[in-house]
Amino acid sequence: MFLRRSPSVVSGYFPGLNYVPGQSFLHRAHPLVKLVLLVGFSITVLALPAPMAGIALFFALLAAYGMARLGPGFFWRKLRMIVLFGLAMVVVQVLVVKEGLLLAALPLYFFSLEIWSEGLRGGLVMMLRFLNIIGSSYLFVAVTNPNNLAYALMQAGLPYRYGFMLITAMRFIPIFQRELNQVRSAQMAKGIDLEGASLPKILRAVRYLLVPLVITALGKVDHLAISMEGRAFGLYHRRSYMQSQKLTWRDAVFLASAFIFFAALFFYFY
Amino acid sequence: MEKYVATIKNLSFTYYGAAGPALEGINLQLRPGEFLILTGPSGCGKSTLALCLTGFIPHGYTGLMEGTVEVKGLDTRENTPGRLAGLVGLVQQDPEMQLCTLRVMDEVAFGPENLGLDPAEVTARVRWALAAVGASDLAERDLYSLSGGEKQKVAIASVLAMRPSLLILDEPTANLDPRCTAEVLAVMEKLRRDEDITVIVIEHRLERLLPLADRALYMERGRIVREFRGEELSVQAAQYRPFYRKIDRAGKPRVNTPAPPPRLQVEGLAAGYEAPLLKDVSFSLYPGEIAAVMGDNGSGKSTLLQALLGLLKIFRGKIYLDGTDITHEKVSRKAGWIGLSFQNPNHQLFESTVIKEAELPSLFLKGCRPGENRRVLSLLEQFDLLAYRDQLPFALSLGEKKRLTLVSLLAYSPPVLALDEPLVGQDPHRSELLLGALQEHRARGGVTLMVCHDPAVASAWCGRILFLEQGGLIIDAPTEKAFALLAARGLTHYLPGSSSGFITGEG
Repeated sequence: MFLRRSPSVVSGYFPGLNYVPGQSFLHRAHPLVKLVLLVGFSITVLALPAPMAGIALFFALLAAYGMARLGPGFFWRKLRMIVLFGLAMVVVQVLVVKEGLLLAALPLYFFSLEIWSEGLRGGLVMMLRFLNIIGSSYLFVAVTNPNNLAYALMQAGLPYRYGFMLITAMRFIPIFQRELNQVRSAQMAKGIDLEGASLPKILRAVRYLLVPLVITALGKVDHLAISMEGRAFGLYHRRSYMQSQKLTWRDAVFLASAFIFFAALFFYFY
Repeated sequence: MEKYVATIKNLSFTYYGAAGPALEGINLQLRPGEFLILTGPSGCGKSTLALCLTGFIPHGYTGLMEGTVEVKGLDTRENTPGRLAGLVGLVQQDPEMQLCTLRVMDEVAFGPENLGLDPAEVTARVRWALAAVGASDLAERDLYSLSGGEKQKVAIASVLAMRPSLLILDEPTANLDPRCTAEVLAVMEKLRRDEDITVIVIEHRLERLLPLADRALYMERGRIVREFRGEELSVQAAQYRPFYRKIDRAGKPRVNTPAPPPRLQVEGLAAGYEAPLLKDVSFSLYPGEIAAVMGDNGSGKSTLLQALLGLLKIFRGKIYLDGTDITHEKVSRKAGWIGLSFQNPNHQLFESTVIKEAELPSLFLKGCRPGENRRVLSLLEQFDLLAYRDQLPFALSLGEKKRLTLVSLLAYSPPVLALDEPLVGQDPHRSELLLGALQEHRARGGVTLMVCHDPAVASAWCGRILFLEQGGLIIDAPTEKAFALLAARGLTHYLPGSSSGFITGEG
């Protein structure tokens, strides 16, 4: 049961990036506004090396999680590995970097643990950057309906063929995951031993799963192509949209406030 | 106004690389508002004809096309499927694979948006199309949350929103359970009653369709060999030919004789992926029994078959074969005792030729060498597959693939057969072949569990019905008693006479 167990182990430590339906202001904000803010936030995080800037951005991020009604429990559940990894980076920096002021020296059995200001500062900056970038990306995914994002991108000028590649991928990835499980079960039902995690078993699994999976996928693609082309997909260069996603004054105020905040951080810390 | 919506003249088509034509000498004229049924055995050319009418032949498939097809005066040779999209629409078998967005409203709006129509017009069309299939309440739903029947309704609405003059439905109920089938049939009845469009329905099972039809065409080997109209059609509808012959019920344990020990015994089985989907299922099957496993889509039928083989996590319960506990045996060992064929045969095919595919399980499970199991050849012949022995299995039709997987199981004679919808894609003759093979298995004392949506098959061929609902076994009884219990619970879609009916080319 190698293939089936692995995802659950992985997902235990790295919970999935999923849209979490909701009605908060952040959920309802225009998807492109959220995308622009994510880019702006990330640039600010990377451009400002001061720990205080990182801390200010981290609190802003926590406030945004609060606005999205995704509480501390959600933050910890999704980002605990990132927090632990960030703390590990702080420890490594403290152990390795011996520059700046000596803040503390703890005599231990074999050696003395010295904490230097540059080591601590460097570690904190790295941890905060890491947390802020990943935390903001998680938040963006959690509050942005991917379907709305794709439609918003197409309405903003992304060629609709690419937009629908994104939408059909979102629709079919879970279907193909299910197919893979089915193919695996079906081959095992023929007496092919795919249980266990040894290298020969994995190679055997790939050999016996790949062909049926690809053939099934191609068959499905045929049906999908008939369905889409039969409804005039690709007939014209442009298409219309039943529901247009318009910017509201709330979106504009939100965007402006956020950029004033980023500008203030640049002013103080750059 | 044009007299005909579509005109086909002397149409023949041969797929590239095929030995013979898929269509030959087809002449057909379709009138506005006509409701036409297209039927015939698997591989007779019905779906190819649909592809010709929609322009995918010659534009999407390579082959030799002769004759002409015109839809609303447009020649399909000169107009791509996209250009014909507002005139003719095709709904395919599998609802899952023809939906390309994430929400119902987006899906139905997809076609009109591609035509670049004004948003107000798109909205009006979406509302009309959803109302036409009785699915207005689904507008705001996500597609993944819909049942199979609801998905098929949305697929029909999404094609209707293009306002086609000709709507073709290619076996729209083939993948659906009786409840969902009834929903889709109701849509067709509504379309017939309320909308003035020409409808072609490609179907095997016709009982409820015949009363709606103006014409029914029977195809065989790429030709239209018979046409039923008016009175003839009414006669067919009244006395449709149920092809299933009754069997004796010797396989069932008799009350007044000492019952033999059960061949397969399941006690309190709970199985699933992360959590049990199957809850506390218990039953026993005796030598020679054929049991129909019935229930709505998602009720746990396929889960039960896969759990028997250990393909899912078993949370609780025991499985005994001839009194021996096999619950925790390795799957590759259990496969020698329980032969499982899957709903989608493509999942099980792998080899480069039909003959290799047929003997593959025998190699793994019986230790045979290639070519050693002579039964494979006789089974291929019995199942009309010997002619394809050196062909690629993936090139076979759905029905042929299903027969091939059954051949590969019968070749090593497991005592238990677990078959997931083996009759899908089979015409009456081939269905009878399959069911005949199950009789031979039964005569040797084997037991069969067969997921089956057709009450007529269950009634004629199975001694027992296991009916599942939401993962629980709610009915386990001999066939007649099970039907009485189903009737008492109001599950009338599962009663004989509710969905079957064929017409044939015979006079």
